[in-house]
Amino acid sequence: MISSSARKAHLVVHIILIISAIAMLVPFVWMVLTSLKTTTEATQIPIRYLPDAPSLRGYIEAIKQSEFPHYYLNTIISAVMKTVFPVIFSSMAAYAFARIRFPGSSILFILLLSVMMVPNPVFYTPQYMMMSELGLVNTVTALWIASLISPFATFLLRQFFMSISKELEEASVLDGCNPFQIYWHIMLPLVRSALVAIVIIQLQWAWNELQWPLIINSSPEKMTLSSGIATLVSMFGTDYPVLMAGAFMAVVPMIILFFIFQKQFIEGIAFSATKG
Amino acid sequence: MIAPTLIGTLVFWGWPVIQSILLGFQHSENFGTVNHWVGFDNYAKLFRDKEFWQNLRNTLVYVAMFVPLTLVLSTLFAVLLNTKIKGVSLYRVIFFLPQVTMPAAAAMVWVVLFAKDFGLINHLLGTHIAWLSNGNYAMLVLVIVGVWGAIGMNMLLVLAGLQGIPKSLYEAADIDGAKRFNKFRYITIPMLTPTLFFTSIILLIGATQIFDSIYLIIGKTNVALPSVRSLVYAYYQNSFIYNDRNYGAAIINILLVINLALTGIQFAFQKKWVVYD
Repeated sequence: MISSSARKAHLVVHIILIISAIAMLVPFVWMVLTSLKTTTEATQIPIRYLPDAPSLRGYIEAIKQSEFPHYYLNTIISAVMKTVFPVIFSSMAAYAFARIRFPGSSILFILLLSVMMVPNPVFYTPQYMMMSELGLVNTVTALWIASLISPFATFLLRQFFMSISKELEEASVLDGCNPFQIYWHIMLPLVRSALVAIVIIQLQWAWNELQWPLIINSSPEKMTLSSGIATLVSMFGTDYPVLMAGAFMAVVPMIILFFIFQKQFIEGIAFSATKG
Repeated sequence: MIAPTLIGTLVFWGWPVIQSILLGFQHSENFGTVNHWVGFDNYAKLFRDKEFWQNLRNTLVYVAMFVPLTLVLSTLFAVLLNTKIKGVSLYRVIFFLPQVTMPAAAAMVWVVLFAKDFGLINHLLGTHIAWLSNGNYAMLVLVIVGVWGAIGMNMLLVLAGLQGIPKSLYEAADIDGAKRFNKFRYITIPMLTPTLFFTSIILLIGATQIFDSIYLIIGKTNVALPSVRSLVYAYYQNSFIYNDRNYGAAIINILLVINLALTGIQFAFQKKWVVYD
């Protein structure tokens, strides 16, 4: 039986959590409400909480005046490339680093780790120059080409592979598997949870990234959702319903994915941190 | 099997680091077709530049406010969620939501919320503060927005750390008649230090690179920009707006040195204050 003092403590905890949860949600609620208001309603004093007659004008204007279909397509292409390839390449490299002894392997691994410590913007100017030499500035390819590998994912997966007992592989070798078959049929399924975590981290980062798309692509039809909605500000100034409609359309796919896969999202993040 | 990762890392990440360091020692003319070696000239100019010191100071002020605040609040919420209350998974989802929200989109709604005349925040507080055009308040806004976005993830990390503490330790303390606060002070905190340590490294490295929210919430024409401009923003401005990629490289190389030093210091101190098992 729960004592009354414990019940009182639970009540206090709930009150703190509910107030904080409301505070966390305010920006989402305000984004949706503002996107349905008229321009005057959005900046009216005293402020209005609800629009008189919810209007979709903000959404229609945002879609008409900018390149939303392109933003979506470019973001999806680059998010898929930045997720699929790092998962494949990192798991291969991680398996090799964990299991196959070759000269210089520890030096190469340390090299890989040290790249992880470098702040991303350090890469941008040289990468921009590289893209410019390859004629890739203002292309969708430039959005993802430099991010097909992930030292972090390699590091995380190596930790995992190293924790798996070697007996399993020795048995497979006796059964006549080659190293690639062992990697593909035996090792990969064993680190499934780590792979899911990496997919989620990469996807989220690729979807939300702003600075690189902003630097490399300036023509509207080559932008991502992130850099695209950033340009809405200069196009629409203080027409807040349009800006909020654009913002809402940009965040909604990721939020839907999050609600569907919330268990994987939350566990994936916690998981990669505790095992990393 | 390591070839794709190795080649990709060397070409797209490894070589750029070297090139960035080289760019810092060069001066380019004619859109980069002519490069002179100028030694430490860019850095000499940087160290004489008042704006650089201000940007460095802004970045450090942001880090000094954002990191401890996020750590404290994340730990608080994690401890609250670790009690046996109902609705833990719902709270977790709500707190995590900002984490999956695009910073660019979030920034746009914060601009509306913090507006001076028609903003919800001034309305609720009954104030009339120019949040976005007063330098001190603008810094506070950036910290609030940063903390809002970071709590969910860091709360989860701390929660995972809390759940990793063996129950037997608390049971033993109960037998010895330990008070709740003492259990927190002498079991939870020491057992949590590896998690807090890890979390603080990630937060610190991320916070020194603040850019998105300055770009979108403050913007290039705002009078408050000089009092919040970070090193990464200054790097972006110099390299891609003023097209002085050498000066930009000098700025970002300073951040590289700072981050490497931070990582080094933290690893050196790790042995001293982190209790593993």
